[in-house]
Amino acid sequence: MDWGYDNDLFGNGWNIEKMKKLFLFIPLIIVIMITIFCLVFLLQGKDPSKPPSALLYKNLPELNMISLFDASDVISNKDLNGNIMLINFFASWCAPCKVEHPLFFEIKKNYPNILLVGINYKDKQEEAINYLNTMGNPYDYVGVDNKGLIGLELGVFGLPETFIVNSKGIITYKHLGPLTKKIITNEVTPFIQ
Amino acid sequence: MISLIGFIGLILSFVCNVIVIGSYYFKINQRFNQTFYLALYCSLFFICLSFFALMFAYISSDFSNFNVFQNSHSSKPLLYKITGTWGNHEGSMLLWLLIMSLYNVFFSFNITLEDHVRKLTIVFQSFLYLCFSLFVILTSNPFLVNSIDINEGLGLNPILQDPALAIHPPILYIGYVGFSLILSLALAGLILNQLDNLWIQVIKRWAMFCWLMLTGGIALGSYWAYYELGWGGWWFWDPVENISLMPWITGLALVHSLMITQQEQLLKRWIIFLSILCFSLSILGTFLVRSGILTSVHSFAADASRGIFILILFLTITGFSFIIFILKSPHSNKQINLLFINKTSALIINNVVMLIACITILLGTIYPIIIEVLTNKRMSVGAPYYNSTVLPILLPGFLIMSIAPMLSWQSNKLDKIKNYIYILIVTSILTLLITYLTKFNIWGFTGTILGLWIIAASLLSILHNCLKYKFKKFFIYNNALIAHIGVGIMIMGITFSSISQTKNNFTIQTGEIVNSGQYSLQLKNLKIEEKNNFQELLGIFLLHKKNEFLTTIKSSKRYYYVSKVITTEAGIYHDWFQDFYLVLGNEKNNKWSITIYHNPLVSFIWIGVMIMIFSGMVGILKK
Amino acid sequence: MKLHLSSNKLVLIILYILIFLFSTVALGDAVIDDKVKKITSNLRCMTCQNQTIYDSDADFSKNIKQIVRQKIIDNQSEKEIINFLVTRYGEYIVFKPQFNRRNIFLWTFPFLIFALSFVFFIFRLKKNTT
Repeated sequence: MDWGYDNDLFGNGWNIEKMKKLFLFIPLIIVIMITIFCLVFLLQGKDPSKPPSALLYKNLPELNMISLFDASDVISNKDLNGNIMLINFFASWCAPCKVEHPLFFEIKKNYPNILLVGINYKDKQEEAINYLNTMGNPYDYVGVDNKGLIGLELGVFGLPETFIVNSKGIITYKHLGPLTKKIITNEVTPFIQ
Repeated sequence: MISLIGFIGLILSFVCNVIVIGSYYFKINQRFNQTFYLALYCSLFFICLSFFALMFAYISSDFSNFNVFQNSHSSKPLLYKITGTWGNHEGSMLLWLLIMSLYNVFFSFNITLEDHVRKLTIVFQSFLYLCFSLFVILTSNPFLVNSIDINEGLGLNPILQDPALAIHPPILYIGYVGFSLILSLALAGLILNQLDNLWIQVIKRWAMFCWLMLTGGIALGSYWAYYELGWGGWWFWDPVENISLMPWITGLALVHSLMITQQEQLLKRWIIFLSILCFSLSILGTFLVRSGILTSVHSFAADASRGIFILILFLTITGFSFIIFILKSPHSNKQINLLFINKTSALIINNVVMLIACITILLGTIYPIIIEVLTNKRMSVGAPYYNSTVLPILLPGFLIMSIAPMLSWQSNKLDKIKNYIYILIVTSILTLLITYLTKFNIWGFTGTILGLWIIAASLLSILHNCLKYKFKKFFIYNNALIAHIGVGIMIMGITFSSISQTKNNFTIQTGEIVNSGQYSLQLKNLKIEEKNNFQELLGIFLLHKKNEFLTTIKSSKRYYYVSKVITTEAGIYHDWFQDFYLVLGNEKNNKWSITIYHNPLVSFIWIGVMIMIFSGMVGILKK
Repeated sequence: MKLHLSSNKLVLIILYILIFLFSTVALGDAVIDDKVKKITSNLRCMTCQNQTIYDSDADFSKNIKQIVRQKIIDNQSEKEIINFLVTRYGEYIVFKPQFNRRNIFLWTFPFLIFALSFVFFIFRLKKNTT
């Protein structure tokens, strides 16, 4: 804005002309900053439909679930601690789960020291057992989460979801959606070695 | 074959624009003028050829074209085949190019400006065209050949098969893309140092036209959201809505600033800044939507490489423009006459308020990106943020709006002040009454008093004008007041529809009557209709108000065969003061669940906007 | 006095706003449904594109609505409920940015420039009239 011939606005010698010139640079600076942020965001390959997990680097919440196969067998964190764990939420009604299912056998083969924990989410026991009988059961433990309460604790909102927990019980990785060979090689393996 | 023609047209339009720019700089031969304009008109011809080639491919369901294959289906009604041309990323960019070229050519018919200013504007517009056509040719080619030999398409999202949504992109783009011409005019005037009254006259009309079309486009989008999205909302502060709103706000500031034409003061620097800002926001907006960087109800199929290209375009075009702005910024020797409160200060308040609102919306839209880059955590900035920040910031603007057109440039006296004070007192009392009788709320109170005050003060001003000037030159004196009345009406509509909406759930079976407020609704029957590309389960209801029959109202569920999607269509009865909004739910045991919304004063929103648009058109046409 | 007109107007409006701000506070208890509406209107449906949990019919939304309702019945405060969900789903699930250190700039910047412009404007006015 042009303030006219009276340049000494604050009465202490601050030249209004200089101030005006400075203001003129602001839009350019903002444009450059916006470009940088957006460029970094794009180059990092972030997926806007997949928010990062809120539980990263936090302790695994207490999972108290009964086994899918034996209702009297209760699985809790005590049973699982001390190992690197891969937790996979699945269900018999979930189509993408079927696609990623075979990959777990490979993981189990390549990394035998990892504990593979499957959590059957909002499913029926019969159908889940059928599913595992047909597709095979790669999991060391399979827990039941009928009402989705365990999923709620972990921020699950759509199947399949996979978490990796390190030997100290801290969640180190989360993946939304089905796993693929590429994702396993690039993203998952660093955490399970 | 048709795709080939389209592609060649696209390339040739690019070449023609190169010739335009080339013939400007290498004025080698005498016939430079001829070459210049001939290339310009040829460029329009070729992009038209290209665009209509794509449209023809859609109409004839030519699935050898990959774009048509991805987005169309032979069973689509003809209208939606046509409008499907721009219902996808590549096609809409082709529309973008067409509109840019149309602006360039129509502008070339201008006779007001001096020749060298006109030519340089055309050159800049051509340069912008080159940038975007490069983007289309390299990353978003709509003429790719389908490698699969197939005679059916993948169909189109049924949500897009809708009349309002079909026409919303062209109208929106005429505004949104039109700001490119404003930028070109600004750059030309800046570089040639020719920001005189002639220039102001010309840019004034074009800016008003662009801004009007943008208003219409946004209103159409909102109206569509209102009847299609099934819960009576019409503005969600969704990122894509914000992106269309930002240039609208700066366009509004620009249009107002350009009104200081032959008056003593000329905010040249500010006008140039706004002119650059409008199209910069358009480019940034296009980037945000098409790069996939933001989730929204309205995202196109996203692609990071496209995103990076547009981002580079944004940096180049905007950076270049602002650098020119810094280097050649005009100096105004005249002092601005600022009084509290004269027309100049009212205008400045308007500008400042609008700009801060725009900055806030930009900040809110971009903030999640910044945070995620810095902390790898994702956050949301939604409606509560914008409502708490933008609305209070706009308040001073709304307050001033009521008396601004009547203020004088020179003095801070307002004619017949006493009348205005009486009106203020009356509207305050009226507002108190209204808010006590209806659901009370601080926003309800503020919105109502602002809306009423603007309407009342403007009506009073019109009255004063009529007494003074009779009805001579009615629109010249009262146009701004009419526009502001439109805004006041819109504010009333926004206030009441947001605050006093009621929602009721019912279950109903055939023949049964339910009561909601003053209305009673009876389910007459249900029937199934087979249409071209969907099957519709139609619920036919009879609507009564206070025991008097009003109308038949229908709500339906549609099952689209190809995409296998089920959509719900609401039934709306528009009354002047309330919308009765019916949504059919699910069936259980022969009973249907329905939801009834009462949306008060929604019509006021559309009426207000239409008045604004009318007033704007008068503004362009009047001498 | 030159500023007479606008002072009147401003004073009247500020007066009204102040009086009724106090009345709003005393509005009293809302029904559970209203509370659910209020809270879920601020929550994002994670499986939808930019819809609130209140407006959405998705399974996820129905689930969360039930959870919120139960917590309201259990007398949990809005803050507790929001925190519960944010711990599990991240700040992404809340539409209103929380008032923490990260978001200070977001919330204060608009008002800051507003205040600054206001001050600048008054300054310039005073300059003009002297």
